[in-house]
Amino acid sequence: MSSHTDTMSMRDALFEAPGPRMRRNIRVGTAISLVLVAVALGLVVQRFYLTGQLAAKYWTFFGQASTWAFLGRGFLGTIQVALVAGVIALVLGLVLMLGRTSALRPVALVSRVVIDFFRGVPSLLLIYFFFLVVPQYGIKLSSFWMITLPVGLAASGVLAEVFRAGVNAVPRGQVEAAMSLGMSKHKITFKIVLPQAIRFVIPTLISQLVVVVKDTTVAYVVSYPDMLQNARVLITNYDALVSTYFVIAIIYILLNYLINKASVAVARKTGTKIISRTSTAAV
Amino acid sequence: MGLSELLTTYGDVYLTALLTTWKMTAVSYVGAMVLALVVTVMRVSPIRPLRVVGDLYVQVFRNIPGVSLVIIIVYALPVLKVVLDYGPSVVIACVLLGSAFGSENFMSGINTIGVGQIEAARSLGMGFVQIQRQVVIPQALRSAVLPMTNLLIAVMLTTALGSQVPLSPNELTGAVSYINTRSTGGILAFAISALGYVLTAVVIGFVGNRIDKRVRIVR
Repeated sequence: MSSHTDTMSMRDALFEAPGPRMRRNIRVGTAISLVLVAVALGLVVQRFYLTGQLAAKYWTFFGQASTWAFLGRGFLGTIQVALVAGVIALVLGLVLMLGRTSALRPVALVSRVVIDFFRGVPSLLLIYFFFLVVPQYGIKLSSFWMITLPVGLAASGVLAEVFRAGVNAVPRGQVEAAMSLGMSKHKITFKIVLPQAIRFVIPTLISQLVVVVKDTTVAYVVSYPDMLQNARVLITNYDALVSTYFVIAIIYILLNYLINKASVAVARKTGTKIISRTSTAAV
Repeated sequence: MGLSELLTTYGDVYLTALLTTWKMTAVSYVGAMVLALVVTVMRVSPIRPLRVVGDLYVQVFRNIPGVSLVIIIVYALPVLKVVLDYGPSVVIACVLLGSAFGSENFMSGINTIGVGQIEAARSLGMGFVQIQRQVVIPQALRSAVLPMTNLLIAVMLTTALGSQVPLSPNELTGAVSYINTRSTGGILAFAISALGYVLTAVVIGFVGNRIDKRVRIVR
C-alpha cells in the first residue's frame, strides 16, 4: 500500500488532459453515475422503510447514555483483548523471528514450522482449539484468555515475518562493519540490527493491529463481553437487530480505519514503508 | 481418541470438509478477483462519483471484521427480507472482503509503474487503450502475483467464517467444532484440520513464488 498522494497522481496520469468532447463525456458520465448511486441508496433506504426498520423504536435507544455506557464497556473489553494479544504477538513474534534467523539449524527449522503454522491456520480454528480442545486436558482458562491467547498466537506468525522483513532492510554492510570491529553476534543483533529493524517496522506493526481487532470479534464464541457480544445483549433487550449490527459495524470500520490512518501517518513521518506482503490475514 | 479411531469415525467428515474449504475458497477467490477488477476500474476512472464509491467500498470492506459481516448477511439481511442460504452467505462475505484487498493489490500494482512511463507512452503517440493494454496492465499483473497469492491464502482462511453458521457440509473449522462437541477429539482432531489448511497454504505459496520468480520485473 503506498501513500494516497501517489495513488492520486498515478490515477490522473492514466488519462490525458481531456479535450472538449471528453469533458462533455465525463460530465455526462458523472451525471449518470450520480443518478445510479442515488437510486442505489434510495433502494437501500426503501428496503429499510418497507420492512419497518426505520421505526423510531429501533433507533431511539441509541440516544440513551446507558446504551453507550454498555457498548463502551464492551469496547473496553475489545481494546483489552486487542492490546494484550498485541503484546503476546509482539514478544512471541520477535522470539520466533530470532529463532528463524538463528544459526542453529534445528532452532531455525522449528521456528519456521511454528511461523508457517500460525500464518496458515485461521484464527477461528485456534480459538476453537482453546475453547473446545484445551479444556479436554483439564486446563481451565478464563474466557479472556480463551480469546486473547489464540488471537495473539495467530498474529505472532505474521509479526515474525514482519520483523524479519525489518531485519532484512538493515544494510548488510553495517553487520559486516560491526563484525570487523570484533563485536559479538549477540551484540550485533541487539545493538545494531534490532533497534533499526524495529523502528523500520513500527508502521506495519500498527497496521497489523487491525487484524487483531478484527479477530477479537469472535469473542462471543467464548462469551467474553467484547463490543460485539454486548451488542448481542442489546439486541435481545431492545429487539433491534438490524440497527444494532449496523451501528456496531460502523464503529468497527471507523476504529480500523483510524488505526490504518495512524500507521500511514507514522510511516510518512518516519519515512518508512508499510510492509503488506507478509500478511495473509483478511478476516 | 486415537488417530485411527478418529479417522474411521470422522474420516469422511474431514475429507468433505477439506473439499468444501477448497471449493468455497476457489469460488470466493474468483468472485473476489472479478469484483476487485470492477472496483479498481471504478477507482481509476475519470468519473468522480465512481472513484468515491470505489474508495468507500474498499475502506468499508477492508476494515469490517469478517465475523460482523457474516452476522449481518446471515441475521440482519433476512429482517430486511433479503434471505440467502448459509453457504452463499459465507461465500458472499469472502468475496466482499477479498475484493477490497484485491483492489488494493491492483492499485499498488498500478502505482509501481510510475507516471514517467505513461508520459513516455503518450509522447510516443499511444492512445489510452494502447497504454492500458501494452504498458499498464501487463506490469500491474506481474507485480500483483505475490500479493494475490497471499490473498488466495487469506481467502482460504476467511472461509473459516463458515464455522459461525450452520453449514452443511461443514468446512475444516466447522468440522473441528462439530467433532469436538460430539466426542473428545483432543489435539489430534484439531491438528488434522490445521494440517489441511497449512499444507494447502504451503502449496499455494510455493506455486505463487514460482510464478512470481518467473514473471517479476526486477527494478
